[in-house]
Amino acid sequence: MATESSEITTTGYIEHHLTNLICGKTEKGWTCDPYLADQMGFWSFHVDSLGWSVFLGLVFIGLFRMGIPKLSTEAPSGIQNFVEMCVEFVNENVQSIFTSAKNPIIGPMALTVLVWVFLMNLMDLVPVDYLPTLAGNIAAFTGLVEEPGDAYFKVVPTTDPNITLGMALAVFVLIIFYSIKMKGLKGFVAELTLHPFGKYLIPVNFVLEFVNLIAKPISLGLRLFGNLYAGEMIFILIALMLVFNSIAIGLLGVGLHIIWALFHILILALQAFIFMVLTIVYLAMAHETEDH
Amino acid sequence: MNINATLLGQTLAFVLFVAICWRYVWPPIIAIMEEREKRISDGLEAAKKANDSLEEAKLNYEAELDKAKSESADIVEKANQRASQIISEAKTKAEAEAEKIIASANKNLEAEINKTKEALRKDVSEIIVSTTEKILGDEISHEKHEKIISEAAQKI
Repeated sequence: MATESSEITTTGYIEHHLTNLICGKTEKGWTCDPYLADQMGFWSFHVDSLGWSVFLGLVFIGLFRMGIPKLSTEAPSGIQNFVEMCVEFVNENVQSIFTSAKNPIIGPMALTVLVWVFLMNLMDLVPVDYLPTLAGNIAAFTGLVEEPGDAYFKVVPTTDPNITLGMALAVFVLIIFYSIKMKGLKGFVAELTLHPFGKYLIPVNFVLEFVNLIAKPISLGLRLFGNLYAGEMIFILIALMLVFNSIAIGLLGVGLHIIWALFHILILALQAFIFMVLTIVYLAMAHETEDH
Repeated sequence: MNINATLLGQTLAFVLFVAICWRYVWPPIIAIMEEREKRISDGLEAAKKANDSLEEAKLNYEAELDKAKSESADIVEKANQRASQIISEAKTKAEAEAEKIIASANKNLEAEINKTKEALRKDVSEIIVSTTEKILGDEISHEKHEKIISEAAQKI
């Protein structure tokens, strides 16, 4: 029975889950009120996305540094096995793509991307209400907000386009940096303007190549964002089934949640892997010095 | 979709984490893996070498064993020869000794026989003389017929 109020609750529930904890500067000074987000302009931060992102980055560093003091060449065990497996997997991928040029930073970067993005994606498997409710209660308890429901807290960093495009931006900067470093400024400009149609159609070439160049970071960032945002959205919709006071629909919701979570494990790992591989491929292309 | 400074914050975090990974995480793990790889290939090489030297040692051992076998066979043969030599020497010696003993025994025996013969002769002649004396009375006396008695004794 869809009454007016339950419609609003449903919409509100979804909106609540899709709103970031945003902090920025308004006319009245710094504030973390999402209702004032429109007034904040560019210089505002999604504290929840950034916080989880940095926290998970530290988890990655911690996990991979933990075993290092007692690294053994004899018989690796426990965490070292896992760490070596990851490193070997990344290294194999890098070496199969980076055939001619060598760059010592690609391996560490690919490893960081793979594990970090995977960890960020993994937060999607935490049932959608757990952490926001916990954060809301803590915020209400410490007096930051009046009601737990007033606190906004988005957990999965990769469902925030700022996070995925932020990483894509770093990759983009590296693409341009290495293109210029390996080919020279002249070579880079020539690559952008002199083909596919030769020197008589430079404007056309430039438009085509520029779109090609810009498409790399945008597709890289939006692919990850889109996949994770859609997955998160489905989790939220499934979670909505538990809002109705019906045991049958609730049980169906639990079943669907399990099925989607199992399927989503594949997507999480796959998207992290794709992000890593594309990062390597784009940088490998930037290193290619041969003329087309 | 709300693009704001979070994007730059994430870019900064990305650069920092890549830098930390590049500086502190990646090198020790790669180093340890390369070291292990080297150790394993060294180990395999050493195992191959050990196998080769084992083969060589086996060949050497067989050669030595063959040599030792032929030597021991020589020694046994020599020992056998020596033993038979010793036996034959001992035999010869023993035979000679036995002959000697037999000879001396024969000699003794002959001497004994002669002695006995002599005694017998003497006894017999004396018995004859005394018997004859008794029969003939004083006609025949020992002193008088010394010559005849001894001649008769000679004949016996």
